[in-house]
Amino acid sequence: MNQLQFEHIITIIGAIVVFLAASVALKNDWKTPGLENQVFKLMLFLLAVGSVLAFLAAMGVIGSWKGSA
Amino acid sequence: MAVAVAHDPSSGSGQAHGVDRLYAETRELRINGFLLFMVSDLVLFSSFIFAYLYLRQTGQGWPPPGISRLDVAFAAFNSVVLFGSGATMHFALENWKHGNFNKYAGWMLATIVLGAGFLSGQGYEYWTLYTKFHASWSGAGIFGASFFTLTGMHGFHVFMGICYLTILFLQTVGGVYTKQKYAGLTMGTLYWHFVDIIWVFLFSMFYLWQ
Repeated sequence: MNQLQFEHIITIIGAIVVFLAASVALKNDWKTPGLENQVFKLMLFLLAVGSVLAFLAAMGVIGSWKGSA
Repeated sequence: MAVAVAHDPSSGSGQAHGVDRLYAETRELRINGFLLFMVSDLVLFSSFIFAYLYLRQTGQGWPPPGISRLDVAFAAFNSVVLFGSGATMHFALENWKHGNFNKYAGWMLATIVLGAGFLSGQGYEYWTLYTKFHASWSGAGIFGASFFTLTGMHGFHVFMGICYLTILFLQTVGGVYTKQKYAGLTMGTLYWHFVDIIWVFLFSMFYLWQ
């Protein structure tokens, strides 16, 4: 297994784990009131979005996985 | 200010009533003040981001001639490390709220380690860009200046966040916070999530946008 394959596998697994963790945390906090919790929810949502972007990049759907520097 | 017993986040009942009332009265103010600080930081990042977008849309072709594409594979890997630290930080705060000190400590240390891992990855990327492509802040045109300024500023925030979380961790070990009084931990978690979501935008702009 070369470095690129290792990065590929870890990125995909990590992105799925982070997405699930952020989604579950968002679901659990969904009904919590207060300004800080609204900010937390927004941030957890964006964290989930970020993990989806990393996943799509690792799958070669967006960005250019091969042929980069 | 009274100090709770170390390692027991549920303690604190022995504190003077006046201190608790003071805490209750000022907690919202302090949290809101911290949110305002984050808004000011967001304005700082937004200024640089919009400057980059303007230069990209109006300047030379992108990336400029002679500049290789950035390593998307490694950046995605490093991004997952940082996003993972956001998840572990959230778990740390939740476990603190529920009085699980050991789990809190584990997640908090994992956050610090992952944050340090992200910084190391960024250092490795900078080193690769410099040694292989001779790219530096002043040596790669507008692209280099934008890239190194924005990612460097973000990296500095991550570094400060690691210092911040380390201090928070030492404070919790020392018994500064309790299960009822943990505004500092909440602010630390907000800060770390903020650093995470800024990277979502930087990652998209520099690595994913063709």
